[in-house]
Amino acid sequence: MSGVLLTVETLRKAFGSRRVLDAAQLRIDAGESYVLTGENGSGKTTLLRVLAGLENAEVGACSFDGRKVDLGLYPDWLRQEVIYVHQHPYLFRTSVTDNIAYGLKARGLSAAVREPLVREAIAWAGIGHLLDVPPHKLSGGEKQRVALARARVLKPRLFLLDEPTANLDAEARQQTMALIRDLCDANSAVVLSCHDREIIELPHMHRLHMENGRIDSQNGLNAAAPIPVK
Amino acid sequence: MDWLSTTHDAFALLFSGDRELWQIILISLRVSLIAMLIASPAAVAIGYFLATASFPGRRFLIVVTQGLLASPTVVVGLILYLLLSRQGIFGSLKLLFTQEAMIIGQVLIALPVLVAFTVSAVQGADPRARETAISLGATPLRSAWTTLIEVRFGVMAAVFNAFGRIVSEIGCSLMVGGNIAGVTRNIPTAIALETSKGEFAQGIALGFVLLIVALGVNFALAFAQGEGGMK
Ligand SMILES: Nc1ncnc2c1ncn2[C@@H]1O[C@H](COP(=O)(O)OP(=O)(O)OP(=O)(O)O)[C@@H](O)[C@H]1O
Ligand SMILES: [Mg+2]
Repeated sequence: MSGVLLTVETLRKAFGSRRVLDAAQLRIDAGESYVLTGENGSGKTTLLRVLAGLENAEVGACSFDGRKVDLGLYPDWLRQEVIYVHQHPYLFRTSVTDNIAYGLKARGLSAAVREPLVREAIAWAGIGHLLDVPPHKLSGGEKQRVALARARVLKPRLFLLDEPTANLDAEARQQTMALIRDLCDANSAVVLSCHDREIIELPHMHRLHMENGRIDSQNGLNAAAPIPVK
Repeated sequence: MDWLSTTHDAFALLFSGDRELWQIILISLRVSLIAMLIASPAAVAIGYFLATASFPGRRFLIVVTQGLLASPTVVVGLILYLLLSRQGIFGSLKLLFTQEAMIIGQVLIALPVLVAFTVSAVQGADPRARETAISLGATPLRSAWTTLIEVRFGVMAAVFNAFGRIVSEIGCSLMVGGNIAGVTRNIPTAIALETSKGEFAQGIALGFVLLIVALGVNFALAFAQGEGGMK
């Protein structure tokens, strides 16, 4: 898989009088991985939330997989392709299994179709021993892994992960790192924000640095060259 | 009056299966349960909408609902009486002094309680719950349902509070029901009117039942919240 997945022409957002996003251009290629770095408050979370359609912003021309889209309206087909995971993921007060099956149910898949997919996702995230624990009682790292499994089971084209390894102890961090590495190696594109050196230095990771709401590409792979609109 | 023997009579009435007494209890529960079945789905939907939508006048509506929480039931009864009486707009429906009229009144009394409690439950929900549902591809309807399930204890508190209020209200039931024996005589109207005629044992027995219902509802809520492992 290759080629341009997502392009956005301008991205502006202000909270009151404070401008938190002021990016000229963003381009995400299919199957590639991007790390968003930048100081606290530089706009990383806000950018991911705008791309996920959870926050309104002034957005210029935008296309996904060659189709023009309005991020403000966020059509259903785009929802199926993009999954955002909060820095502190929220797990529904049901069960771990129901959490992972949630998006599949929302897509109208029958229990017979869901079951093997959920089982596979549980095995992937190594959370088989947590199935009987009430989700809200899981540790931060365990919640993060359930949330990653819940997102991955939907096979989106684009993952937006906000600081997936922040606030985790060494062991939980290693377990989450393994999952992130696996997501980045797979076919979907991944954009994740973090302050974690180990993730930033992963091979094939494109670096996007944010400063006061601006995005700088640090290794030229996301060069701000004009992008042909298909 | 001999309190001891009157209380004894009250329990004798209750446990001997006195037909008149149990009819009053059944009318009370029937009217209030039907009112809850009608009011709850609509009110929870309205409450969710008020808590999450953004449109001009939203805050105003929420404040009005909160204000109506404490509306005197006898005033609701009075307005309904005027609407349903023979000269009223809905006079031709001939609903005055029927259980249907009592149900309508109790629906009106329950609505603001249900809406206001649902609004605060949904506003108290973690915003990530709804965002997570949406990001995982839930339709607006499914994400609303998911959010309500996440705050189900708040929604249950709304339902139990509203039920407690209408099952024990007397003003409206008396105005539009009329305390007709076997038809619209419910627990509160029976206690108020029959006791004044000297039927102390019946009054005490009914008061006891009402207390049990009120306590039962609260225990059920506390138990459900405990089971839910809140916090
Ligand atoms: N809902 C909001 N209302 C007002 N200001 C906000 C809101 N959300 C974010 N901001 C502000 O926007 C700026 C960017 O925040 P953002 O969370 O995107 O930063 P970040 O790069 O993710 O920081 P961190 O590394 O601490 O997670 C910050 O100054 C923040 O205070
Ligand atoms: Mg952040």
